[in-house]
Parts: sequence; C-alpha cells; structure tokens
Amino acid sequence: MPEVADKKMDAAEEDRCVTGIDGLDRILNGGIPRGNTVLITGSCGTGKTTLSFEFLLHGALNDENSLFVSVTENWEKLLKNVIPYDFFDERLLKTKKLIMVDLGSIYQKLGLEKAEFNVEDIDIIVRAVGDIVREWNIKRLVIDSITSICFQLKTKEKIRDFILSFGKNLSEAGCTCILVSEISPGEQSYSMYGVEEAIADGIVLMANLERRGDLLRTLQVVKMRGTMHSRAKYVLDLTPVGVLLVPLLKGGSVAGGG
Amino acid sequence: MRDLPETSAVAMVIKIDGYLDTMRATLDTFIVEKNLSAIYITSTIPSQSIKNVLNILEINLNRIHFVDCISHIMMGTAVRSEHVSFVESPTMLENIMLKVEFLMRSIEGKKIVLLDSINSLAIHNNIKILSEFLHILVNNLRAKDAYTLILSVEEQSSEEITNMLGLVCDEILNFTETK
Repeated sequence: MPEVADKKMDAAEEDRCVTGIDGLDRILNGGIPRGNTVLITGSCGTGKTTLSFEFLLHGALNDENSLFVSVTENWEKLLKNVIPYDFFDERLLKTKKLIMVDLGSIYQKLGLEKAEFNVEDIDIIVRAVGDIVREWNIKRLVIDSITSICFQLKTKEKIRDFILSFGKNLSEAGCTCILVSEISPGEQSYSMYGVEEAIADGIVLMANLERRGDLLRTLQVVKMRGTMHSRAKYVLDLTPVGVLLVPLLKGGSVAGGG
Repeated sequence: MRDLPETSAVAMVIKIDGYLDTMRATLDTFIVEKNLSAIYITSTIPSQSIKNVLNILEINLNRIHFVDCISHIMMGTAVRSEHVSFVESPTMLENIMLKVEFLMRSIEGKKIVLLDSINSLAIHNNIKILSEFLHILVNNLRAKDAYTLILSVEEQSSEEITNMLGLVCDEILNFTETK
C-alpha cells in the first residue's frame, strides 16, 4: 500500500510546475499544475513582473525552456529594472534557456501593427505564439501584460476567445503560462475586463495593503484548478535571493487589533 | 547560556543597568565561543549606536547583521551601511520576519537571532499581534536550527509580556537577581 501511495505522490509531483518560489510552492501544495494558465493580477508596484520573472528563471535553471513576452516595454529595459537576483545567469539568455521577446516585434513580423484586432488577427497571434512554444519546446511562458493585449481586442467576446484558445493551445503543448494582469488600486474584480479571471485556471492576487499607515505588499492565491491551496493572505518582499513570503499577521486586521 | 541546546528559544530577563554586560556576554558566548553569525533585531536603539558601543567593547562586527526597525521612524538616523537592513517601522512585524528570512538564507553557517527587545516592540504593537509574530518567528527559526534569544527588560515588562514569553520560549533566564 505505501508503494501505491508513493507512486501517486510521484505522479502528482510530476504534474506540478514547481515555481521555485518556496513560499508560493508551499501555498500551492507543490507548485502550479502543469499546463495551467494563471492570471497574476494586481495594481502597479505590487511585484507582478518580478514574481513572474523569477518563475521563468527557476524554470530555465532547471532545464525547462522559458519564454518572456514583453508587451508594454522593451525587454532589455525590463531586465535592468527587475531585482538583481543572485541566481540570475546571463548564460541562460545566450543558451536560449531563457528567451525574452517583445510582442511588438512579433506583431511586426505578422504585419499586425494596428490599433484593433479582429477575430482572424487573434487566430494569427495565438498560432504564432503556439508555434514559438512548440519550436523552442517552451515549458514556461509569461506574458506581461495580458491587459495591454486585451486593450486591442476591444470586446469581451474577443478577449474570451483569445484567452480560451491561447490557454488551450499552450496547455496542449504542456506549457504552464502566467498572464500578468493590471488592475487599478482598489479594483473589486481581478481583471480589467472581467473576462480574464473567469477563464484562467488560476488567479494570484497581488496588492498593497495599508495598515495603520504602513504599506505592505501582499499575495493571495484566490483560485487554482487542479490543486488544494491556501487562500490566506501573505506578505512578500522582493529580495536578491528571490521573492520571500510570510503570513499576514491577523492581530492587526481585526477591530481593536494592532 | 553555553549549555543551551540548538534550536532553543530563550528569553533573557535583565535589569536596564545590566544591558551592556548582558549583550557583551551573549555576543561573546555565541559569536566568539560558539562561532555563530548573529542576526540582531533592534527596535530599541538605532543599529549605528549599538555598533558604536560594540566597537568600544571590542566585539567583532563582521559576523553581526542588523535588522534595524527603529532608525527609520527616528527620521534621519537610517544611514545605509554594511550589514544593516532597515525596516520602516517596528509596527511592520511581517517585514521584520522577511528581513530575518532573507538573512537566514544569505548568511552561511549556524546562526543566532537576537531580538532587542520585546518591550520596545510592545510599545508599538498590541500584545495580540506581538504574540502571533513571536510564535511564527520562533517556530520558523526553530525549523531552521537557529537559536533565538529574546531580550526583556524587567523595568519595562508586564504580566502580559511575561506570559507571552513563557508561551513561546523553551526557557526564561532571569539575570535580574545576579546584578
């Protein structure tokens, strides 16, 4: 019997994409179920890009080809601005274990430099990214940000179609995907258009929490299909050894507390 | 103190006039004799002042890393220096845990974490959140095989603080009678 249990355990571990971020893997009971499309959502300055980049770095260091698609800013500029991780190795870029691309350059190659995309354009983009994923055997993908892409899709129907076919395409390729989503501070929903959150397999909410004048960066896994997970709020710090997480102390958040 | 088993969490109750002697003896025991690195959480006096005192006492500062959560709120004393991590306010208890966690990962070898002091943290935080903080911190450090020493000054203590220390610590060493 213990052997059966061990095999089941091994199979479960194989199906996980270990993020490499200790605290997050513990929250997720071992990592993100492989092939999931996860929305990392939050307002500016909450650490979404840094966390996503670390997820890719750990993948690349563990021999999983990883792709970062930058939508809003030049990836070289982005690289200069993220935390200088102790474990970052330039060779990952040279050996193409970690691939950084600007979506603008993909649009240019596809002849899609326009303000609004139609259904055919969506197909072309989904196929193009899918081809890159298959060609380079990409196992981890980050798109930063999905909100900027959605801005060019205009309607909820098109956004829904895009994320659904995108997620399906990547999942079939065994690729675990993080979509970075930007929301305004104090926003009640988890995404700008309200569609992204319903379709994603997982939602990780990152926020700034003000408590008695102190501003804390927090992280909360709201949803993650395919795994048991904590739904508690954690406080995080972005450090050269990676993103660190500790539980949010509750004593300060109750009436009369802290 | 020399005989404390690893992973111990110990409260040291001292009198205010025994502060310097206690610090010197503690750092001598753990850094010099036991060859450990120290993570020194200060919420009472700015780290720079402690460094100055330790210099006078001829204690080697190379193996002491400070988590300074008082200098920032004193407006202007938080000067960046080697081996010092600043926390903006002693009310940001989670950030203190995060800085300790960072240092635990960054520093090699066995470590001791010294909290100076529980009384000054109690000025800025209520006992409920402080107990939660200590409980998580101590258990985390225990899991990482570190010693935890919590300083409590008798003159500034209360029954609540004593009870809290009794709950989270393995032992309470009382140095008030020997003075």
